[in-house]
Amino acid sequence: MAILIDENTKVIVQGITGRVGSRQTRLMLEYGTKIVAGVTPGKGGEKIYGVPVYDSVKEAKEEHHIDASVVFVPARFVKDTCFEAIDAGIKLIVLVTEHTPVYDAMQIKAYAKANETIVIGPTTPGIISPAGKIKIGILPGNMFCPGNTGLISRSGTLTYEIAANLCDGGIGQSTAVGMGADPVVCTNLVDLLKLFDEDDQTKVVAIVGEVGGTEEEIAAQFIKERMSKPVVAYVAGKSVPPGKRMGHAGAIVERGRGSAESKMEALREAKVKVAEMPEEIVQLVKEAL
Amino acid sequence: MRLHEYEAKELFKKYGIPVPEGKVVFSSEEAAEVAKEIGLPVVIKAQVLVGGRGKTGGVKFARNLKEVEEISGEMLEVDIKGYKVEGVLIEKRVNIQKELYLGVTIEGSAGKPVVIVSSEGGVEIEETARNYPQRIFSLQVDVFKGLRSYEARLLAKKLGLKGEKLLKVGNILYKLGNLYRDYDALIVEINPLVVTREGEVFAADAVLQVDDSSLFRHPELQAKAIERIPDELEREAKKVGVTYVNLDGDIGLICSGAGLGMATMDMIRRKAKPANFLETGGGMTKELMAGALRVVMKKKNIRAVFINIYGGINPIHEGAKGIVEAIKEDKIKIPIVAKALGNRQEETWDILEEGGVKVVKESQTAKAVEELFKVLKERE
Repeated sequence: MAILIDENTKVIVQGITGRVGSRQTRLMLEYGTKIVAGVTPGKGGEKIYGVPVYDSVKEAKEEHHIDASVVFVPARFVKDTCFEAIDAGIKLIVLVTEHTPVYDAMQIKAYAKANETIVIGPTTPGIISPAGKIKIGILPGNMFCPGNTGLISRSGTLTYEIAANLCDGGIGQSTAVGMGADPVVCTNLVDLLKLFDEDDQTKVVAIVGEVGGTEEEIAAQFIKERMSKPVVAYVAGKSVPPGKRMGHAGAIVERGRGSAESKMEALREAKVKVAEMPEEIVQLVKEAL
Repeated sequence: MRLHEYEAKELFKKYGIPVPEGKVVFSSEEAAEVAKEIGLPVVIKAQVLVGGRGKTGGVKFARNLKEVEEISGEMLEVDIKGYKVEGVLIEKRVNIQKELYLGVTIEGSAGKPVVIVSSEGGVEIEETARNYPQRIFSLQVDVFKGLRSYEARLLAKKLGLKGEKLLKVGNILYKLGNLYRDYDALIVEINPLVVTREGEVFAADAVLQVDDSSLFRHPELQAKAIERIPDELEREAKKVGVTYVNLDGDIGLICSGAGLGMATMDMIRRKAKPANFLETGGGMTKELMAGALRVVMKKKNIRAVFINIYGGINPIHEGAKGIVEAIKEDKIKIPIVAKALGNRQEETWDILEEGGVKVVKESQTAKAVEELFKVLKERE
């Protein structure tokens, strides 16, 4: 088993007819993801790579069983798009869109919680389970391989790098999840750690953190008190100057908070083995297994 | 996007939050005129997009017009922490009895707005948090309901206020909560909120940072956003469509992905220094990558360029064409080392190699960085 998804997960794509949505639909289909429908208001009746398109999630739901949605709509439509999926009773939403307003992300987070829906993101590369041949999002499938390591990352491309390094070292992933790197993400690091701790297939969890916010510090507390499986980590951004936003909206060391050192120290205190450089994660995972 | 104090105060006025009488000016003559109009003594405040100006001579008092001219003239000429002073705010000096702190920001992990108040105004709230945590009170706000006015009053009451002052401060806090929501603020702060001997309450300072991702909802701010970026190269990069951070080294860097960019910086720092951080975002095109390389090459001291890109959402083969185009058209001679993996990687490698780029095909960025160090050494 993986966390959040498995080989039977049925997925819809919201924003399927857009440039990114259609291209990523093809890549997900090629990887093996079971995409049952797409939604783009006004484009109902079309087909994208054989996938039927509907005007609304509600209409798609009347025709198909749906477990999860992946969102590729422009930032200004994200809030409404997520609300539509939540109102239609979809329990897992992967929100890929970058530059979602923070206030909208806060509302989505609150609404999802009230409706017992898990939203990953915004700005997530998605979720992948190599053994289940399923990926929801934009992660390139050829960077990942099946195994027993749970991978949680705040970054997109750095997730690919570390997964590829792990595969080269003979270590596969049970599931890899990108949390997203905005100031507010809808699913926190601790939530994902809990899921991996309960997952049979996962033997060790690797966290790829980065500067900004306090997610790693909060997670460290949880690991110390509650986590039963070994955790290893790398935190990007040791050389980041304070006060500069490093590409991700949430990646900024400001007002004395969010530095890589603070995160590494908190994690080490929780007995997490912390890598100085990304490639060292491989050795740390090997030792933990 | 950070607003100037005077701009934030204009919004405060619109929302009914009282601010001291004053006006922003751009010359010492104007400064004297305004001072005459509102009456001496006055406070002169440098309008600069960075915090902590009080400690670096950015806030001064003037008792007469000669002082007003001198001080404002000097202030308009200097940089504060490397940021240009863009005007000075001339304000009537108020009789301070008490200074408070009011702020609304984001509690990231909870994903909720949080209102913070303190009886210690005029010092940084982080300092109060360290020294007198018992003097700080906060409340997480329901993101759909917003801050209620009774909640604002309850918080104000914790600051030991009574009667008329309690109502005034409570009301200001309530309005601040509305402004926070309406303007998609990441932070809005009044520090200090001054209670005068006459019993009046004024926002003596104003900090307002608006979420860049929300600017489509605030077209009047969006129009100014790019020109607001203080660094010229950072501004230029924004026009290209990439995120650039100017650093002090001599290795140009182009990465797709912020996390990967930061990790790559960490690795390069083992033996060399990055000249910049550059993140392409998820909208890579040929033009975007050509533009990115051109911005990186603007610095005269660049010894080599390191490219680290992944084909997830990005068509890296298109990006590679842009790189090669810029190399050819601009006759770039310095070594370029690239690692490119993901969708259509083989095609990408061919394009880059044909363009004279040294391509490293392993999955570890560390290996590619080793190659960069080797190339640098050969050139010494």
